[in-house]
Amino acid sequence: MQENHLAKWLNNDLTEAELAEFKKSAEYASYERIITASNQLEAPDFNAEEALIAIKNQRTLKDAKVVQLHPFKKFIRIAAAAAVIMFGSYFYLNNLDENIVTEYAENKEVVLPDNSKVQLNADSELSFSERKWSKERNVELKGEAFFKVAKGKRFTVATADGIVAVLGTQFNVENRPGFFEVTCFEGLVSVTFDGKETKLPAGASFIVIDGKITKTSASKMQQPSWVTNESTFKSVPLKFVLSEFERQHNVTVEIQDIDTEQLFTGTFSNTDTDVALKSISAPSQIKFKFEGSKVLFYGDKNP
Amino acid sequence: METKNTGNVCEEQVFDTIFKANSKTVFNYIYYKFGNEEKAHDAVQEAFVKLWENCAKVSPAKAKSFVYTVANNLYLNVIKAEKVRLKYADKTLKVTHESPEFLMEEDEFKQKLNRALDSLPENQRTTFLLNRIDGKKYAEIAEMEGVSVKAIEKRMHLALKSLREKIDGI
Repeated sequence: MQENHLAKWLNNDLTEAELAEFKKSAEYASYERIITASNQLEAPDFNAEEALIAIKNQRTLKDAKVVQLHPFKKFIRIAAAAAVIMFGSYFYLNNLDENIVTEYAENKEVVLPDNSKVQLNADSELSFSERKWSKERNVELKGEAFFKVAKGKRFTVATADGIVAVLGTQFNVENRPGFFEVTCFEGLVSVTFDGKETKLPAGASFIVIDGKITKTSASKMQQPSWVTNESTFKSVPLKFVLSEFERQHNVTVEIQDIDTEQLFTGTFSNTDTDVALKSISAPSQIKFKFEGSKVLFYGDKNP
Repeated sequence: METKNTGNVCEEQVFDTIFKANSKTVFNYIYYKFGNEEKAHDAVQEAFVKLWENCAKVSPAKAKSFVYTVANNLYLNVIKAEKVRLKYADKTLKVTHESPEFLMEEDEFKQKLNRALDSLPENQRTTFLLNRIDGKKYAEIAEMEGVSVKAIEKRMHLALKSLREKIDGI
């Protein structure tokens, strides 16, 4: 008889000989009876339809969206707002132009992002965008500055009166109320004034006084005199000389019975006020009184 | 009954077919194991809801063994088997005209069989009943239980052997 013959028997897997032998055995009747009885067995009722409906109901319940209240979301909103503000202000500040200002009697040297150097004379303001520098070399100038421009792309200096453009050179730009002067010390400078472009070779100056253009081929110097603490003028109305004196020595100038339109040619010191006063008054034949931070220039007639 | 191996379980029709083909057996399977109708209902519910949730991952061919595994694992080591109560179909009473003595004896025998079934180890009882009541082949039971066909034959053999021994009072 083979292994598990009872299982084989139920499965009709016994050979005829085995089956005959099994049927002869004493237990056969009992097994036969058990199987007969067990064939009548039934499992508890199971309603598949109902069960399926129940499952589908549960499925819909599970599929339904559960909206969860996140106290964390509120925090995220605040954090997002803070991030926007921080990013925004960072971006704004980052994009703000660089701004360099000099006071009366103060000079500053500024190194631009491309290593171009700018010396800023007293009472002047220079601004440029560091972010845009790689795209365009633009500076804005109020007052006076001496530029040593590194070779490269077009370099422009925008002033209230005109635009100065160069490729790489040394030049001085002065723009005061009613006075605009560009002096080229090296290379070639292009000056656009009143919509007209003027090319300025080395050693030439372009001067506009009260709207009148004068071109002079003056300076034999390598750099403007103010860089070495002197102010030099060539046929400049006295009023501009006096306002330069105010700026360099941080004093207030008052005038009495003087023709400020008379031309002045000469130099005064930017460091020694007394020497400067003499340098201005002697050639112009005017007198002065110096008290504290006030200077009174007056004509010969007055006491 | 074999499930068609086509389509996706996520499709309503495919799912329903799998359910109709297997839910009754899942129910019986759990009932034979633990003798608890409620738990058997729950197992069907749980198994098929799980199947639906994982319908994208389970192919129709694997769906059958998936539901048996889920149903089986659900109560693994969790509930104690209760008394398995099985009814007998009334066939004999209607078609035969047996003597009252015979019927009494028959009734007595059935009660004995019930008690004997109840005292069987869970795996032998489940195998025996799946085969006798649900008409499952040994191979199918082997697949459900995750054992070899030979192991099922062994369980069947031992089940029948101990049933006889208990009923005959050996």
